Amino acid sequence: MNRLQVAIEHKKLANGLHVVVAPDSTAPVVTVGVYYKIGFRLEPQGRSGFAHLFEHMMFQGSANAPKMQHIKLINSSGGVLNGSTSYDVTNYYEAVPSNALERVLWLEADRMRALKVDDENLKNQRDVVKEEVRVNVMNEPYGGFPWLDMPPIAFRNWANAHNFYGDFADLDAAHLGDVQAFFKSYYVPNNAVLLILGDVKPGEGMGLAEKHFGGIPAGAPPVFADPSEPVQNEERRGRVVEKFGTLPAMAIGYLLPQRHTADWYAMALLDQALHGGRAGRIYRELVLEKQIAVEVDGGIDDLFGYNGPTQMTTRIMHKPEYSSEATLSVFDEVIQQVREKGISAGELQQLKVKWRSDYYATLEGSRVGYMPKYGLMHLLACFTLFDNEPQLVNTILDGFFAVTPEQVHSVAGKYLRKEKRAIVFRVPASAGVKEAA
Amino acid sequence: MASRPVEVAVGVPPLAPERDVIWPKRTKAQLSNGLQVILAESHSIPKFHGELLFRSGNAAVADRAPGLAEMTATVVRTGTQNRASRQIEEDLRSIGADLSSQAGSDISAISFSGLSEFAEPLLELVQELAREASFPEAEFERERRQKLEEVKLHRTQPSFLANERLRKVLFGAHPYAHIAPNEAQVAAYRREDLQSVYREYYTPQNALLLLVGDFEPQEMLKTIGKAFGAWSGKKPEAKAFPSPANPRGRRVYLVHMPGAVQTQILAGCHAIPRKHPDWIKLGLTNCLYGGAFNSRLVMNIREDKGYTYSPRSSVNALRQHGYFSVSAAVRNDVVAASLTEMFYELDKLRSLSVPSSELADAQNYLSGVFSLGLATQDALLTQFSTVAQHELPDDYLETYRARVRAVASEDVLEMARKYLDSGNMQVVLAGDRAQIESQAALFGDLEIFDSQGNALA
Repeated sequence: MNRLQVAIEHKKLANGLHVVVAPDSTAPVVTVGVYYKIGFRLEPQGRSGFAHLFEHMMFQGSANAPKMQHIKLINSSGGVLNGSTSYDVTNYYEAVPSNALERVLWLEADRMRALKVDDENLKNQRDVVKEEVRVNVMNEPYGGFPWLDMPPIAFRNWANAHNFYGDFADLDAAHLGDVQAFFKSYYVPNNAVLLILGDVKPGEGMGLAEKHFGGIPAGAPPVFADPSEPVQNEERRGRVVEKFGTLPAMAIGYLLPQRHTADWYAMALLDQALHGGRAGRIYRELVLEKQIAVEVDGGIDDLFGYNGPTQMTTRIMHKPEYSSEATLSVFDEVIQQVREKGISAGELQQLKVKWRSDYYATLEGSRVGYMPKYGLMHLLACFTLFDNEPQLVNTILDGFFAVTPEQVHSVAGKYLRKEKRAIVFRVPASAGVKEAA
Repeated sequence: MASRPVEVAVGVPPLAPERDVIWPKRTKAQLSNGLQVILAESHSIPKFHGELLFRSGNAAVADRAPGLAEMTATVVRTGTQNRASRQIEEDLRSIGADLSSQAGSDISAISFSGLSEFAEPLLELVQELAREASFPEAEFERERRQKLEEVKLHRTQPSFLANERLRKVLFGAHPYAHIAPNEAQVAAYRREDLQSVYREYYTPQNALLLLVGDFEPQEMLKTIGKAFGAWSGKKPEAKAFPSPANPRGRRVYLVHMPGAVQTQILAGCHAIPRKHPDWIKLGLTNCLYGGAFNSRLVMNIREDKGYTYSPRSSVNALRQHGYFSVSAAVRNDVVAASLTEMFYELDKLRSLSVPSSELADAQNYLSGVFSLGLATQDALLTQFSTVAQHELPDDYLETYRARVRAVASEDVLEMARKYLDSGNMQVVLAGDRAQIESQAALFGDLEIFDSQGNALA
């Protein structure tokens, strides 16, 4: 078996900033990322959507690179850039020809040191974010399904249960003081990791990191709200009206085990047995064999990137001639089968081969357009911020290879329980009210 | 355009000297049955990516039914003489492979990736799908039902409806006018229609096999010879369609979506196919206009005015024709204001020469982003595939950056004047008529349609 090894250098600067360099001179291109350990889960109460709005503000100007200059300097260096906000991290990243490396680091350091924005910038980006929500959620069939529908049904702690894109009233209420306070609390070097991947020598990368980021003062250790959930002992259900589409849809989410436990590794492979493409059991039964559903997908969304209560979520769009209860009962038969019988050694072996193949694709890959090594960057960042161990990138496969059929059987019984799940029904307005959820 | 003065950055580190951009060598071969093969090494991960392309897509069979090549491609992966659907999916999983089959206007393709150690069984399966697909009746019926639901869903998506209308307006009687079938057309598909498309077009004489990844080319050629050598079939007859006329005079087409909380704007005009000598010059012009984050349009209607989240423009290449388009999803009360800025930025490109620093920035952008395509196996495959599909010169990739650098301000002015005339743009608005009709009418004669494509009074 041909195992891939990623060369990695890791160190922590005096101000607490982690720096990870992964050199690879295959192409004259370098990918830079800065990850802050704050996502929308732990944004301030009364300010839903703020973590994401704040991400937009990070492109609005810093002490030495005023508005529009950050984007202009990356694009005109031949590079692309973006940022994204998720549950537990917010990232900013660039892929550029390697001759622009120092410029990119200077820009990232400038906005980590001193964001410089005003009310006009905030109003501008608030308007942009509202159009983003309209285009992705309010004006789009099945928009926000189920990532915005599920949290208020599944969870009880506001941190996990609120609208992550933001209620418009909360977005409107956000003011410049909130921006400054959020920046001061969470955008400190001791709550971040800098990643440099690709065409760079380790010493050069570390030297430039020290040069540009070393002088940024550490902040007070960030204080995080408690994301833990009260124990769930009952199935939870809710419904949301689908304004545009005509197919009934549902999403079923089961709570996941903690990161890096033996159960977690087994659950990841069970997830593949259930959701792994067209060979996955749920797609096979509901779409190919019984032909109740038109589309089935889902699974664990970002296995390595969550650091709080999370679900494995199945999405089903089914034919209107089947009731949602009938559809759910076929889904339940699939679940019941793995609970009772687990999976065979042969199936597990197949899943491990596919897992390895997918893992390599993730490391190289561009989840988003032309962004080489996006996946490697993401894994290194999460392993550093959550586990303090970027070398997990090279060793974590062993944990998955060690999973036995007995362990898969065991986690199926332990986690795939009705009292540990939540279901959201997306009911087409056009269908009228046919059944209660 | 900016309502506030643009400030400059202070203390920006200069760029270091550029490193050479070296594209991997391509190994080309042709099997005795006519199958063309292009291979390139890339050892970044122990995998490989590939495509088996057929040089015929939905356009070639548009006279039979819209979307027929796409439906054919969809059913191809659901069964062969030796393997049922379920077997195919499990076999793929057991070797860690992914596979999809699809068709566009000009091309049908089986795309795949997998671990290098299992190249042989994966190529064996690909050839089986290309050669011995059995179109099982039950699978065909199942896929057709799924397609029916998909085309229904399309009619609720603003971006689809806008795109559908623009293509109709620009291409008229040409097959490029259709981006998807309607429900009745899907319902009328017959299994025999798919099989005849398959027989005529899935032939080695009509095909190109592209592989990029972690392998040794001569070894891989032997594997390919073994897998594909016995395949046979002749070249299909080439089809030509009369060129559609470029619509003159600006007109506005409103697709009414009751209750829409936003309006999808999509405007466009004819442009050029990829192998046209103006391609790179027009591409750079587009990059300055709305093709990059740093472009004039994005800075204007997003970063300055906050009208929209994702404005963009592009030059879209089809094999026989091309078209330019600009799009933005905007708040309902700024539809007219957004169109005004879109046209203003077009007119400005036709009227004023682009400052040399701005031109240099755009040249750096195109040239740099192009080199990002070297960094992964699938990006390399995309580049080689583009060259092959559009019949570009062999040294296209190697000379691209120099040709981008050679574009002058006068060229940009010439391109804008030749192709980007705001007075002849065809404007589609997908949104709520009650909220945007009076704004729409400001920009030209207005026609209104419902989401099914019926004209409304």
